[in-house]
Amino acid sequence: MRTRVVLFAAVLAVVAAVAFAARPHEPTADERVDRITAELRCPVCQGLSVKDSGSETARQMRDLVAQRVQQGRTDAEIEAEFRGAYGDWILLSPPFASWSGIVWLVPIAAIAAGLALAFARVRKRERTDGRAPTPGELAALRARVAQEEAAEG
Amino acid sequence: MNRIVRSLIVVALLGLVLTLALAFRRDPHDIRTGTVGKPAPAFAAARLDGTGDLSLGQYAGKVVVLNFFASWCEPCTQENPALVRVYERYRGTDVVMIGVNYQETRDNGLGYVHRMGIGWPTIADDDGRIALSYGVFGPPETFFIRPDGVIAGRHIGPIDETTLITGIETIRPAARQ
Repeated sequence: MRTRVVLFAAVLAVVAAVAFAARPHEPTADERVDRITAELRCPVCQGLSVKDSGSETARQMRDLVAQRVQQGRTDAEIEAEFRGAYGDWILLSPPFASWSGIVWLVPIAAIAAGLALAFARVRKRERTDGRAPTPGELAALRARVAQEEAAEG
Repeated sequence: MNRIVRSLIVVALLGLVLTLALAFRRDPHDIRTGTVGKPAPAFAAARLDGTGDLSLGQYAGKVVVLNFFASWCEPCTQENPALVRVYERYRGTDVVMIGVNYQETRDNGLGYVHRMGIGWPTIADDDGRIALSYGVFGPPETFFIRPDGVIAGRHIGPIDETTLITGIETIRPAARQ
């Protein structure tokens, strides 16, 4: 009995700790800097975020983001500043509502087109399978059966 | 259905060909993203030679050629003779050149300026804020700023004399009259 109580208390403590850690909270300045710089592309690197890059340019960009956060700018305003200078390219995930958003739309459109094509093919086959054979098709089938029977003796 | 599918494939292929044709026609040195066509970001920074600050605002009404350079940048050394010749050509006119030293100590930057015969004003971009505000990828990069303060063009990589003169003359009020 005592073991069960201890186990239950331990599970409860773990659940409480997880819930406490996952609670919605106001991000700190450092968390915001991390989040913003993880979304920004390092201009002098190959596919690295500003957060992950050790280059001098990335360091300067992190400093600028940190300063803007301290000045009370919103995440959107800070991203807009970098987009203004470098274009949408500077964002690792291209914004949906822009020309770059085509990279999101094309795969969705391709999948939708593929599904539509497959659906149309299946419907067409179903229609073909369900209809009665024409007299010509019947005659051809009968002739083929008769031919096969004759061949078998 | 087959006709529709065939038409869709043709349209998709035409779109792809058109996109590739447009993409290959673009000059990789002339990237028109970000700041081109917008007001040039204002700045004020210390002159490399230590004679005080320089701000973009003090050149309002003039054509400004803003060149980002560094002594560790080999293409900057390559383009420098063209910059010197163009500077001499427009010296004392309504065209000014400003050099922005990129990610470098002031001593190294100043040594390069003396060694390469750079006579135009040069400034230190110690924290990289000027480069970031102009969307610079790395030196050398050159921006052409119209007298009304709008960035008219941008050249990425080493620039030659003809490109410099063309860039300047197309935005010079005297040339457009």
